[in-house]
Amino acid sequence: MTEPYAVPVPKGYRVGVWEVREPIATGAFGSVYTARRTERSPDLPDSAALKFLPTGTNTPRQLSHLRELVEREVTLYRRLERPRLLRMYDTLVVDDPGRPVLDGATVLVLEKAEGSLSVLLSAAPRPDAGPALLAQICEGLAQLHAAGWVHGDLKPANVLLMADGSARLGDFNMAAELEGTHAYTPAFSTPDYTPPELLWAEIGDRGRRIRPSADVWAFGVLAHLVLTGAFPLPGATATARRDAATSYARGTDELRLSPELPDAWREIVRDCLARTHADRITTEPLLRRVEAAAGTGDPSRLPRLPRLLRRRRRLPAAVAGVVAAAALAYGVSVLTDDGSTHAGSDGSGVSAARAAAQARYGASELRTDQGVPVQYRRLIVDSAHACSEPDVTPALIAAMLKSESDFDPNLSDPGKQEFGIARWTPAILRWWMRDDGVPASATPTPPLSPSVSVPAMGRYLCYIDNHLKSGLPGDKRVLVSAGYRTSVEKVNDTGGVPPKYRDYCARVAHYLKEYAPSGKK
Amino acid sequence: MYSIIVVPPPTTEDDRQQIRLAPGERLSFGRAPGSGLPIPHDGVSRRAGEIVAQGTFWILSNLSARQTYVVENPEGAGEHIKVGPGRLDAPVPFEFSRIVLPAAGDLLPVEVWAPRHDYLDDDAEPDGEATAAAFSVDRTKRYFAVLAALCESRLRGDPHAPLPTVDQVVDRLRPAWPAASRTSVQWNIDYLAVKLRLKPGPESADPGPRLNGKKESLVSLALRFDVVREDDLVVLSGSASRAAR
Repeated sequence: MTEPYAVPVPKGYRVGVWEVREPIATGAFGSVYTARRTERSPDLPDSAALKFLPTGTNTPRQLSHLRELVEREVTLYRRLERPRLLRMYDTLVVDDPGRPVLDGATVLVLEKAEGSLSVLLSAAPRPDAGPALLAQICEGLAQLHAAGWVHGDLKPANVLLMADGSARLGDFNMAAELEGTHAYTPAFSTPDYTPPELLWAEIGDRGRRIRPSADVWAFGVLAHLVLTGAFPLPGATATARRDAATSYARGTDELRLSPELPDAWREIVRDCLARTHADRITTEPLLRRVEAAAGTGDPSRLPRLPRLLRRRRRLPAAVAGVVAAAALAYGVSVLTDDGSTHAGSDGSGVSAARAAAQARYGASELRTDQGVPVQYRRLIVDSAHACSEPDVTPALIAAMLKSESDFDPNLSDPGKQEFGIARWTPAILRWWMRDDGVPASATPTPPLSPSVSVPAMGRYLCYIDNHLKSGLPGDKRVLVSAGYRTSVEKVNDTGGVPPKYRDYCARVAHYLKEYAPSGKK
Repeated sequence: MYSIIVVPPPTTEDDRQQIRLAPGERLSFGRAPGSGLPIPHDGVSRRAGEIVAQGTFWILSNLSARQTYVVENPEGAGEHIKVGPGRLDAPVPFEFSRIVLPAAGDLLPVEVWAPRHDYLDDDAEPDGEATAAAFSVDRTKRYFAVLAALCESRLRGDPHAPLPTVDQVVDRLRPAWPAASRTSVQWNIDYLAVKLRLKPGPESADPGPRLNGKKESLVSLALRFDVVREDDLVVLSGSASRAAR
């Protein structure tokens, strides 16, 4: 369907440091364009996706609900940075009285994706990478729900695929923060992904009440679509499928899932599509089962994008830019490597509350009473979560940082060429410092900041975990740490921890036990 | 999850309970006491007929031996369909309908509303992939004119203007709708509450500051989600602007 762009922006148009290039997509609420950075700016990537939202006072669509939607999206991006959620770099407002259509438009500067799941599915239904992608999508939902938000509009068009083929969730116009068990979202939805209880739900003064289970339903629909190429509910049109959903929910019809669905996934989809919200599986156990069904982690199963989505990759202009971008993603507090936290620096209640939240960050997986420095908790937990392997846990990363450097960000060992909190060798770090999996164009020079070292460590551990032979004796996590100290090949050839590294591994094992909450392995 | 509402004929007691049907649900009506909707009138067959909600529309079966039922569209300027005796599963396309049952000289109206009728959204694609607004309104219907009249002062730039009374709405609409009356406007306000799925009153809702009254809630919801926009106010000026879209 040819449709006019919600916000037409000419090629070459300048907003801030950005020059607009090709259009990417348009939706009911705004239009997205690629953009190129035209000025030096150490905090920003070379290219980005600009999302124009027509919020100006003179725009033809002077809509009050739009302003609310934009606010939702910006709030979520500002407050949540998670590895599986699209990242926002900046927001801008167009100031151009000469162009009434654009004047006052809000511009979100977003991480650029290579495409969306809906593009991938239309080019290649039932992609081989389907299970791996679903695991990543589910991880994104888990990160969102754990932070207390509901997405509200999960569908293929809102799953973005990055250059390395990994998936991230985007488009948070409908997202809402939970208040107790519910959140309130605007009264918009995509019928095929809307759970039956919301199809004709009552709408109050604050919008529609929605629970995380609505995202779980949408995930079930999405999983069925990705794995079988068809919607789980029968019907040739969205209206027919909506009626099928309501009669299924009323109990007058049974769920008949496609026979193509593999058995492990059949159970998962069935539990996502339970008739009532209360019967649906919750996100945490869902993620565990999805990861088990997907067998994620094997890099050969990482999604391969079809040719049409591949674009020539540009190498980063300078390593400095990469370092700064990584720092931006994790907030400034981790950069103050002097061991102080924000608490007390200005003494305000807000910063004390923030410090308290920081001190509890990821507490269910990393104990708070064992001396892991508070300013690194978020970095450690998020870096571990960026890896879908169950072995790469926050406790493992913390135990390794403790063993490597005793959390000393200024460690410098020129003799061994090892620097920083994770004792990275710069020539090796180069291969792991970029989160899109592309090696940096130049070897970084020390000092190596924690905001670069720790996420890179998470990525490298993830790789090691995937390349260790199966059946090696001992705790897999300790084997991973041995691989980090020496190499995967050494560990595989030795058939376990090489004798030279036994002391190191014993230390890691000791701190692993200390840092992992009881009950968790 | 209901999609069809049946309003029984008026009785001497003033408690017309609306009956809500979900897609696939059926409701039989007739003189027999076991009917889903008993109509205790001697002129009506024991098993007079059956209504089945079918997604957003409904179908009517005429089970009587010799009476023809007429289904009118009260806003349709005489638009109606006839369902002859013995006809099963006749589809009814109207958003509101009145089934007229001839009963020994009386005509008994049973109203059936289909508030889930879908209409093309201004800027959405009708393929189920697009994010769609939850409200689907027909801008040519009278309920839309009533809503526009209620929202008018606030849309014209006075966000705190008091809402017009029902009588003021009647006066405002009379040029375009000469038959407008208190009852018909009030009926449309009640229908809008169903159509926009307004939450039921404060007794069942959570505490906290909330708007009082149906009109106030309707207007606040309509403005918040842009169900009525400033350029929709042309429906109030009557004549040609009510032409079909």
